[in-house]
Amino acid sequence: MIEDLKQTFLNELGSATSAADLFQLRVNYLGKKGTVTAALKTLSSASPEDRPLLGKKINEVKQFIEAELDSREASLKSETLKKQLLADSIDITLPGKYTAFGREHPINKVLLEIVDIFVRMGFSVEQGPEVEQDYYNFEALNFPKEHPARDMQDTFFVSDDIVLRTHTSPVQVREMEKRKPPVRFIAPGKVYRCDADITHTPMFNQVEGLMVDKNITFSNLKGILEAFLHRMFGPGTPIRFRPSFFPFTEPSAEVDIGCILCGGSGCRVCKESGWLEILGAGMVNPAVFEFVGYDTEVYSGFAFGMGIERIAMLKYSIDDIRLFYENDIRFLGQF
Amino acid sequence: MRASLEWLREFVPVGASAGEVAHRLTMLGLEVEAVEQIDGDNIFEINVTPNRPDCLSMIGVARELSAAFGAEITFPDHEFKSETGELDFNVDILNSALCPRYAGRIVKGLKIGPSPDWLKIRLEKCGIRSINNVVDVTNYVLLELGHPLHAFDLGCIKGHRISVGTPKDVKGSAEKLRFLTLDGNERELPEDALLIWDAERPIAIAGVMGGLETEVSGTTVDIFIESAYFDPVSVRRTSRATGLKTEASFRFERGADIKMLKKALDRTAFLMHKIAGGTIYGKIDVYPAKYTAGKISVNYEKINRVLGLDLADSEITGYLGRLGFVVEKVNGRYDLTPPPFRVDMQRDADIIEEIARVYGYERIPAVLPAAVTGIEGQDNSRASLSEALLKEMKGSFLKSGFTEVINYSFMGENDLDLLGIDAGDVRRMMVRIKNPLRAEDACMRTTLIPALIKNIVYNVSHGNKSFRLFEISRAFLAGGNRDDKLPEERNHFAAALYREKIQSLYRDDTPDFFVVKGVIEALFNSLKIAPYSFIRSAEPFLHPGQSADILIAGSKVGYIGALSPVVVGRLDIKAQRPSIILTELDIDLLSGHYAQSAQMIRYSPLPRYPFSERDTALIVDESLESSEIVDLLKSYSSDLIEGVTLFDVYKGKNIPEGKKSIAFSIRYRASDRTLKDEEVEDLHNQIVGFMIGRTKGLLRT
Ligand SMILES: [Zn+2]
Repeated sequence: MIEDLKQTFLNELGSATSAADLFQLRVNYLGKKGTVTAALKTLSSASPEDRPLLGKKINEVKQFIEAELDSREASLKSETLKKQLLADSIDITLPGKYTAFGREHPINKVLLEIVDIFVRMGFSVEQGPEVEQDYYNFEALNFPKEHPARDMQDTFFVSDDIVLRTHTSPVQVREMEKRKPPVRFIAPGKVYRCDADITHTPMFNQVEGLMVDKNITFSNLKGILEAFLHRMFGPGTPIRFRPSFFPFTEPSAEVDIGCILCGGSGCRVCKESGWLEILGAGMVNPAVFEFVGYDTEVYSGFAFGMGIERIAMLKYSIDDIRLFYENDIRFLGQF
Repeated sequence: MRASLEWLREFVPVGASAGEVAHRLTMLGLEVEAVEQIDGDNIFEINVTPNRPDCLSMIGVARELSAAFGAEITFPDHEFKSETGELDFNVDILNSALCPRYAGRIVKGLKIGPSPDWLKIRLEKCGIRSINNVVDVTNYVLLELGHPLHAFDLGCIKGHRISVGTPKDVKGSAEKLRFLTLDGNERELPEDALLIWDAERPIAIAGVMGGLETEVSGTTVDIFIESAYFDPVSVRRTSRATGLKTEASFRFERGADIKMLKKALDRTAFLMHKIAGGTIYGKIDVYPAKYTAGKISVNYEKINRVLGLDLADSEITGYLGRLGFVVEKVNGRYDLTPPPFRVDMQRDADIIEEIARVYGYERIPAVLPAAVTGIEGQDNSRASLSEALLKEMKGSFLKSGFTEVINYSFMGENDLDLLGIDAGDVRRMMVRIKNPLRAEDACMRTTLIPALIKNIVYNVSHGNKSFRLFEISRAFLAGGNRDDKLPEERNHFAAALYREKIQSLYRDDTPDFFVVKGVIEALFNSLKIAPYSFIRSAEPFLHPGQSADILIAGSKVGYIGALSPVVVGRLDIKAQRPSIILTELDIDLLSGHYAQSAQMIRYSPLPRYPFSERDTALIVDESLESSEIVDLLKSYSSDLIEGVTLFDVYKGKNIPEGKKSIAFSIRYRASDRTLKDEEVEDLHNQIVGFMIGRTKGLLRT
């Protein structure tokens, strides 16, 4: 009879589908008036020798039913939860919500890269005015008035004595006026020339550098610029120093790197020469030291300057300098 | 300058290939920019720097090759027999400062005609058009020896005489003359122009251009050939004042070879006689201010010290000898006489460059300088602070979606007109450029906004509907009274947000004004710049109801706001009511505040007792601004208030017309104990009562 009870339970459990069905089953079997409870009550009427065995059997059935009910309830619960979570699912392939980062202007990107290399070599960073006195822009840099060297730089004039600086070199004079050697700094900034075509914009950026101390040599100039150029363009880049002319340096040099586009075999960009002009440099002309009151017999130094636009054009293969100043976000977004 | 290799080889026997010659010239400082092949000859396009007028000729380039290859120079033939008969012709130099030497020869009975082919071809290879045999010869010698020559039609020179002087020298008073130059134009000459005169009138602008009236023409029979030296500065001034740049002025203003002029004169006479016949007469050579070469002393030790080399004495003297220097050695020092054509040799540094040049820059080793132990007198704390500020500023705007632009520093009056900035505004104090490329670029920027607006219009016209831009650049303010007469240059920051109403996947209703304001506030908070505030702005180009001046410690550092619809209406933007938010800040003002705050960072202990929060909503007048509510709350004196946050501003349903609901949350905390509920309740009720009283508001329930 008790075996029948178990079988009946199992049949009923099999057709139970909800938490309510299970609850009903629990009441029907294990409740105060439930079948199992009723069976337990019959124990007292059983013979004393049958009682222990019968009691054990009923208890086994009771435990069995309890365990089955618990397990079914648990699995039903987890199924319900699973269904619920599934219903809450999202399309994880939709894009995230964000504001795309802005981009740094390629000129400033390259400029900061250059500044960073020199700062790590112990150069500080200085600034000077962009609207500058003729004295600092030309005179004290050994460009006398009415000197043809002034033709090298088409100048915007504010008055006879005030110009838009044509190079960052006036910062050399201003800084040397302020302090005694040793001096070691770079001066990045905007410069202006009265010129506009596919390779010239009326405003562009330069980085100037100056190092003055006792015993600074042309050999040191080559050392510093080689270290810089190898960091900027790669360790194996060929470098060439050749004589040139700047009124404020003597000896003066033009510094070329092996063309990074054709590897030196000659192309349109390097005008078939295999070389690209990158920097102007030289030993500070004693005439400039005289303007700032440095003893030319004690101190020597070197100066250099480079155009950022040109370097950025080479680095990113840009063929029209004007793109930098159109500020088209489709262009700016590429860097 | 164009130089023919075939021609160069007449002066110096160099067997090397064209490529090798070009390379050697480049490495000597005569940069060969291109090599062109014409009929088996190689033409070098040489970039001659302004310090080397001596290289503006075949002989000059040949001298460099001779120094490089160690080969001898041969001079072209210029020996001839001249008639010695007395000539009825006089030359007077009235101004020997501007003309220290003037020489000439008369050639009579010439046959003017076309030049022979060899002459034409050589001129054309070097970029000079053939005119007639007489003019061509003067040009040929100019190319060959670098000295400018001029041929006058002798028959047109009046009074058998030439004098050299300024109008003042000749007429006794300075005068601006008009003169017909041989290009057919009449020009006004500057008062101080040095001129060549005959007995009656000027016939040439010295060193610049001859006159039309004495030009050699097809009917010329007798000529006067001029070969002179003119002062570089005087030639340059006159050339610039008249706008005449000629082969002659180009060389004279850089410095001619005063000794070469005699050779050039004779070479010209020789070739003219050979090509056009005629009789050469004796030389006239007026030379009142004799040239003496200045000596330059160079310390032997200094040469090696500057170059970082260890050159032997014999090596140094060898290089200098090859360059034509006369070298005298005086205990440890060289006393050098440069050749007369090296007008660029002024001091020891110039000599050191010559040695380095011939030795070869490429052979000088690259050696890093010894480490510097300290940079004296260099105070970079201030500089590095503003660097840090810039970095933070740039970083926060980049991360917030703003792309960096760089605009030209120029602007025009019309840019300010567009913005409705009136005449009294400080932004009208512009630095003006005397020679701008375009009228609209005639001034330096006093604000970065006009350029950003142009960037917006440009990008909108290229189909962009939503973008953010910023720029960090200088603004220039004229009219200050600095001793150095320079304008004030201030570092500015400006940003622009442009957005059209476009569909987007996720909803975000934050008004754009607050998007930009939020970035600024986040930046200020991160930099601990305080106290800052935003008050209504009167900037004429901003929407009056949607703009604010940005104040730090009560003084204005910038502004933010929506571009006024009036200004938007003037722009070429077709979109309906796009959102355009602009902001501009004076970085120099910010960095002052930042410098203070950065040095005042002090740790404060973390709280040890819990906080309690209470929320309340008040219904107040619509016109009451939220900042007033916050200020009022902050003004309530209790050290138990830790912080105040606004969390809702609401107008509409359930709120009476002209009113709004403002909800705020107050956080209470004591530093020495846990607050009791009743205590917080009491205090909060008092504050609410205070707020109701002050705002004449109602509690929203
Ligand atoms: Zn190349």
